[in-house]
Amino acid sequence: MPAGTDIMMPLWRGVVLFRAITAAFAIAAITVHHHGFARPALGWAVLAGIAVWTVVTCLAYSYDRTRRTLTIVIDLLVTLALMSSSALVLSTEQLTEVAQRTPLLTTVWASGPVVAVAVHAGGAAGAMFGVAVAVVDVWVRGFFSVDLARDMILLVGTGFVLGLAATAARRASEQLRRASRAEAAATERERLARSVHDSVVQVLARVRARSGQLDGEAGELARLAGEQEMALRYLFSTATPGATGEQDLASAVRLLAGPRVEVSAPATAVPLPAADVDELVAVVREALANTARHGGPEAKSWVLVEDLDDEVVLSVRDDGPGLDSDQLVGAVHDGRMGVSRSIRGRVADLGATLTLDTGPGRGTEWEVRLARVRHGVAR
Amino acid sequence: MTDCRGDARAVIRVMVVDDHPMWRDGVARDLGERGDLGERGFEVVATAVDGAAALRIVAAARPDVVLMDLHFGAKGPSGAETTRCLIESDPDLRVLVLSASGADADVLAAIQAGASGYLMKSASLDELVDAVRRTAEGDAVFTAGLAGLLLGEYRRIARGPHDDVPHLTERETEVLRQVATGHTARQIANALVISHRTVENHVQSTLRKLQLHNRVELARYAIEHGLAQ
Repeated sequence: MPAGTDIMMPLWRGVVLFRAITAAFAIAAITVHHHGFARPALGWAVLAGIAVWTVVTCLAYSYDRTRRTLTIVIDLLVTLALMSSSALVLSTEQLTEVAQRTPLLTTVWASGPVVAVAVHAGGAAGAMFGVAVAVVDVWVRGFFSVDLARDMILLVGTGFVLGLAATAARRASEQLRRASRAEAAATERERLARSVHDSVVQVLARVRARSGQLDGEAGELARLAGEQEMALRYLFSTATPGATGEQDLASAVRLLAGPRVEVSAPATAVPLPAADVDELVAVVREALANTARHGGPEAKSWVLVEDLDDEVVLSVRDDGPGLDSDQLVGAVHDGRMGVSRSIRGRVADLGATLTLDTGPGRGTEWEVRLARVRHGVAR
Repeated sequence: MTDCRGDARAVIRVMVVDDHPMWRDGVARDLGERGDLGERGFEVVATAVDGAAALRIVAAARPDVVLMDLHFGAKGPSGAETTRCLIESDPDLRVLVLSASGADADVLAAIQAGASGYLMKSASLDELVDAVRRTAEGDAVFTAGLAGLLLGEYRRIARGPHDDVPHLTERETEVLRQVATGHTARQIANALVISHRTVENHVQSTLRKLQLHNRVELARYAIEHGLAQ
């Protein structure tokens, strides 16, 4: 249990304190009731056993974190053994007349392992240990009564509820740890982005801007440098999903910008469920890949993201040769419609609508409209 | 600096504001080399490392166009503040944003503060020369990216609490969407059956309304917070 160990420390201190206090109570109870014991000598031995075992478990729960499961199981067995010894020590009257309030030798001290396992392994384990202690209680007494039932409910309930609380605390601390790690990563990325922007990006952008005036290999190198500039710039603008599971479509689509692709979007975020963002980005990717394959080497693409509140509109346009209706039919054979089918499939899965506008010499424009789901209203 | 070419108005006076020395001197050199071919030439009258330096020297340098990177580092006025102060100091001055970053919020802020256009640093020298020339003539330099930012901003302010916010007409929305998806002014004019000049006017109007709204908002903020009398 390396994660969340720190958050559990106060709970373990509570377990140890609880063990010590219940031990004191058990020792006092034995001292008060020892006159009626069938075997007083054995009674004192059990008292010593409770004292010793309390010290051992308190030390183990405080310092030994490596073998906790084993410690807890042994704790349960020892506790149940000491509890069972009541059958030999207590007189028949003391055992049977629960109404006279003669507790078993271990009394509330027996709930120690239940509390410990709940903290260690959660609600189900807590409830199970509670049942085990209660069953031995009934077995030692040899009968069942309303008082024993009450003890049983308290034991099982305590183990269950405390276990739930411990699990919740552990989860919360894990989430906190993850959040602070994400924040640290974001801060570091911002620092890197600033530094890269101030140096490398400036130089590469300058090289790219001058690439038009250079010929041959120099021009080619300048063009490659320019592509790296774009890649670097957008590498640092990657969006991460927020706590709500929503992601900014605008910054996700901006990552697709390149020398032949221009992205336009609002300056403010366009939040959508992360899965929808992934699908829409995949649609844009396919449309861009289609242009790259069939639009000719000079074709440029433009992607526009619009947030109309009740819907989000995504337009992808290229200035390639476009298609007429004969070509649309012919395109089934040369693979272009494969892309179209795949885009249509994705858009249909999203529950969005798709418009394709194309014609000879007019380029190709895809428009995807996705209705927005607000405040948990199902689509 | 002596201008020996006679008619002073034939030369576009440019101030370059950039914190990166390679860009500051490189752009100045590039523009200085262009100036023949019978078109208006350029004279780079000043360079500045940041907004504060630009505001100090602008009165003495008297540029027609300020070519400004928005990225100045942490201290001093931001790109948007510098733009506003520059234009307040001389309403005839034109500011053209030249940015290497994808920091769209910064670009939008500078545009709202009065900049007449925005160009990516990766634009070619021809594009830069053309953009500076058009800026000097009072035209807006519109890229697809800027059109997308404006569409988004109009929708954002329409969501706000105030009623007296500017809206795009249907025609203006149409024009901005066409610009944002890469259509040229000529293509838009043909598609909408309007003149090239009308397209330009629509684009200018979307920019002006937003800049005016920004000034109104600043004044409202000042009054609400007791900064004005």
